[in-house]
This record gives sequence, structure tokens and C-alpha cells, in this order.
Amino acid sequence: MDVLVGAFPFMTANFALLLEKTGEHLVISLIPLLAAIVVGVPLGVWLGHIHKGEFLAVSITNIGRALPSLALIAILIGIVGIGMLNAMIALFLLAFPPILSYAFQAVDSVDADLTKAARGMGLAPMQVLTKVELPLGLPMIISGIRTAAVLTVSSATIATIAGSGGLGDVILNQVAYGMEGVIAAALWVAVLAILVDQVFVLLLKIASPAGVKHLQRAAVAA
Amino acid sequence: MTESATTTMPATSTARSTRNSSIVFDNVTKTYPGQTAHALDSLSIEVRSGELVCLVGPSGGGKTTALQLVNRLVDLSSGEIRIGDTNIMDLSPIELRRTIGYAIQQSGLFPHYTVAENIATVPTILKWDRKRIEARTKELLELVGLTPVENWLKRYPGQLSGGQQQRVGIARALAADPPVMLMDEPFGALDPITRVAVQDEFLDIHRAVGKTTLFVTHDIDEAIKMADRIAILKPGGLLAQYDTPAEVLARPADDFVAEFLGAERGLKRLALTTVAEVLAAGRDRRGSSPVAAAAGSTEAGNPVSAAEWPEVSATMTLREALSLVSAAHAQGARVMDAGSHLGDVTLHELICPPADDPARTTEGARI
Ligand SMILES: Nc1ncnc2c1ncn2[C@@H]1O[C@H](COP(=O)(O)OP(=O)(O)O)[C@@H](O)[C@H]1O
Ligand SMILES: [Mg+2]
Repeated sequence: MDVLVGAFPFMTANFALLLEKTGEHLVISLIPLLAAIVVGVPLGVWLGHIHKGEFLAVSITNIGRALPSLALIAILIGIVGIGMLNAMIALFLLAFPPILSYAFQAVDSVDADLTKAARGMGLAPMQVLTKVELPLGLPMIISGIRTAAVLTVSSATIATIAGSGGLGDVILNQVAYGMEGVIAAALWVAVLAILVDQVFVLLLKIASPAGVKHLQRAAVAA
Repeated sequence: MTESATTTMPATSTARSTRNSSIVFDNVTKTYPGQTAHALDSLSIEVRSGELVCLVGPSGGGKTTALQLVNRLVDLSSGEIRIGDTNIMDLSPIELRRTIGYAIQQSGLFPHYTVAENIATVPTILKWDRKRIEARTKELLELVGLTPVENWLKRYPGQLSGGQQQRVGIARALAADPPVMLMDEPFGALDPITRVAVQDEFLDIHRAVGKTTLFVTHDIDEAIKMADRIAILKPGGLLAQYDTPAEVLARPADDFVAEFLGAERGLKRLALTTVAEVLAAGRDRRGSSPVAAAAGSTEAGNPVSAAEWPEVSATMTLREALSLVSAAHAQGARVMDAGSHLGDVTLHELICPPADDPARTTEGARI
């Protein structure tokens, strides 16, 4: 209990240190996350649109799920080696599967009657995608990104082993910072993960067309 | 449909097309990849301009396939389909589909679009200007009876009943004023009462706008009520019969059709004729005094005298009138219209209508 309470004075006393480490932490987690979004969302959406590659999208995710992220990071660092860039590559590989598979499912699972009606009315494939599949799939696409975001931000702690900096430097260095420091930084990571998660919730709210918001409210009310 | 049908509908820009917009199936066969049986087997029918043809048959009979071949959601295996004088293969699928209204079961409305946005789907991709889209949307909502339109424009499909959704689905299919409509069991998911109401409205709309319509249903009663002609498909996608409802009911082409029509075939036929038509035919036969003829009938044991016969309205079908006559244990009915007594019809006239004459259309029964 004492150490837990002691974590808060540590935060005030070492605020500058924590801020610096937070900055590093965000860089090493958000860059791979954004990269995974940029590659994973279009790929997943496209595969979902043509209803192909389910095997790819699903098996990649299952591998990701079966391995604990800690082990995965350790393995990946073992494979790609030490260094900030390598840590980011490992985090990218961690973030990619949920983003890809959620994006795939989001579009693939849109009611076939709706897309058939859309095509039957003369919408071009791209119009079916932008007017029907993407809006209806948007909440699920964002869910995948949120899952990946929490995973990346929390796992970036371990990437410290690869020498990338970040809050892991504090958490994994009890000798220098004491138990108070470890707990303070761990709490900090948890809050950071929640904040990043909430940023995407907010993004969904802002980016959603009115009709998608309506559907979400209706789903909550039901 | 007759060209003379009058309209009270706000159908200013939904004018009857004078262009040929018939749908011709010319020896059309469809076999899905990996299947040995045909889904549709050498179908040759013509849906004339402005005609409403119902495609009926058991589940798996190839009805949906036939429909989706027309708008190229399904590719032909062999044969040819023409709309007007144009082979559907001469247009790109997207071009083709924009000239065809398409309505399906469960309405297929986009749940994230408002009623107005749903109806505007095709006009929007055709890049109509905003004012024109707005005017058209309101006009269509009036046409399908969702008034005052302001109450409906901003709603989402999830906030509508099944019948209302189906009305919006019809409005959406009509939006760009396509000469041809394809409808796949559009009323299949509605409860019986709503279904009858939407059928009636759709018939009114059809009469007003005169679109060539191919309408799929597995419900033979719906087909008898709606169709100018009925095409009956059997399993394997073979055409069993293609004729008017009256003719199909009077002379089923084979045992399959007879069985499909059911044991009440004779009664169903009575739903094709109105009391008014029987009254008119009776006058033709007997001169101008049908009352005397009926009342003076020497038929044995009239339990209820002609003066006490039940009243039926001139617009009722014979089937409905017969039901009332039977319930009253009478030998006939007094035909009323807006409070005045038009004349009487006898039980015999009700069960042996003049509709056996194939030249008579079913128009009257639809009013
Ligand atoms: N996409 C498809 N792939 C393979 N077979 C199909 C497909 N669609 C329909 N069929 C088959 O074709 C036949 C006719 O189906 P369908 O046209 O849907 O009949 P209906 O609409 O009369 O119920 C059925 O045997 C059905 O299983
Ligand atoms: Mg079907």
C-alpha cells in the first residue's frame, strides 16, 4: 500500500522525467500504430469488399491471439534485433493483425441484401464501398484500431528491452527508480493506453456520418 | 395495362412512357457454376410495355434468378434478354441498372440513410441538382402515401414499420423514373393486413405510372390479385404456364399448375370479378329488369325473400359477396352503391360468373 501511495509523490517529483519518457513512449507506439492503420485498413477493407482472403485475415489474427504479446515482442525482437527501429517494427507486427481482421470483417459482414440492392440500383463498386460498406463498417474498423492501440501502447513498455526508450525504461529499472517509480510509470502507461483508446472513440464520433451515429444510438438503446 | 387508365396521382414527372419498354426473355437458360441442374431452363416470355407480370413458383424454381438476369446481377448462360429494342448485353451493367427500378424483400433500405437519402440514392449518383432531387423525393413520398412528407423525410428505416419501409423501397425504386421495374417478393415479409394495403397501393401506383413490371412472388393469391399475366415456373426453372389469372385458374396447363393453384382454385377465380360486372352482364342477358327475373325465380325453397337479401357493394369481388350470401342463407344479394340500390344478383350468377370468357380482363376486380 505504501508503495502505491508513494507512486504519486514520485510522479510530482519526477514529472519532467515521466514527460520525457512519455514522449518517447508515444513515438515508439504511435508510429507503428499509424503505419499499421495505413496498411491494414485499406487492405482489410478491400479484401472484405471482394469477400476474399478470409483465411489470411483470420489466421493472421489467430496467430496474434494465440501468442501473448509479451512473448510475441520478445520473439520479434529476437528476430529483428535491437534498436528503436526494430522495436517499432515489432510493434507494427503486433498492431497489424487486429486492424486487418476487424477491417476485413467490418466490410465482409455488411448485409449482402444491402450490397445487392445497391448494385442492383446501379451503384458502381466504388460507390457501394463508400456509400454502404464503409459507413456501415466504420464502427468495427475503429474497434480494430482501438484494440491495436491499447496493445501497442502497453506493449511498448517491453520494447524498452530493445533499447527504444519510453516508460519501460522506468518500469524495468527498479534499481534506479524504486518500487514507487515502477508503479508510477506503470500507472502512467495504463492511463496513456486509455487516453489513446478514447482518442479513437472521439475520432469515431467526429468522423461518423449522421446515419452511422443514429445506428449506434439505436444499438445502445436496444 | 390500358393506356386510358386515369390517374389522380401526383405523377407529373412519372409520366407514362410511350417508348417500347417490354422485357423479352428469348430462350434464356441459366446454370450456376458447379451445378448440373438448370436454375432456369429455356425461358421465353414477353412482358409487354406497361404490363405487370407475376413470376410465381415454388422456392428454388428460378424466380429470383430470372429477375437478376434482367439487371445482370446474374450472368446469362445462354439465350438473350431485351428491354425494348436493346439487348441487355449492349449496355454496361451499371448503365443498364440505372434504367431499371429494383425493389426487394425487407426493402433493402440503407439503415444509415434517412428516408429522403434512401429515395435520392439513384438521382444523387446521376448528379441531379439538389432542388430537383428534393422535389422528386417529396413527390414520391406522396405517391406512396407517406404524408405529410415532412414527417417522413428525416426518419431512418429503423424508425418505420415494415409496411412503411416497403413503401419507401418502392419510392426509391421509382426515383429516377425507370421504364422498367423488377420486384423480388417485395411484400413477402409483411403481415397479411399490411400486405393487402401495400398491394392495393402498389396497384394504384402501377396504374398511374404504367411501368413494365416483373414481380416475383411465391404467393399465388398475390399474383392473382396483382398480375395482368402470370408466369408459373416449376422446379428446374421450366415454364409451366404463362397466361392471365382468369385463364390460368380456368384452365391450368398441367397437374403441377393445378396443384400449385390449390383446392380453392374455383373460389379464387371468383375473386377476379366484381359484383358490378355480374350485374352489368345480367342486364345484357335479361334486358333491364334483373330484379324481376331474380325475384320471380322458381327455384325451390327460398328461405330468405329477395327483399331481405344481404346488401353487397358493387365493388366487392364475387368471392366476398358469396361469403355474405352464404352467411345470410340467402339466394342472392342486393347490390348497393353509395346508398342506392343498383339491382340484385342471384346465387347462380355469383357462382357462375361471365369471367370464363378469356377476352374479359381482370381490371374490374382491382378497383
Ligand atoms: N448464386 C447461386 N449459386 C448457385 N446456385 C444458385 C445461386 N442462386 C440460386 N441458385 C440455385 O438456383 C435455383 C433457383 O434459385 P432461385 O432463382 O433463387 O429460386 P427462387 O427465387 O424461385 O426461390 C435453386 O436451386 C438455387 O439453389
Ligand atoms: Mg427468390
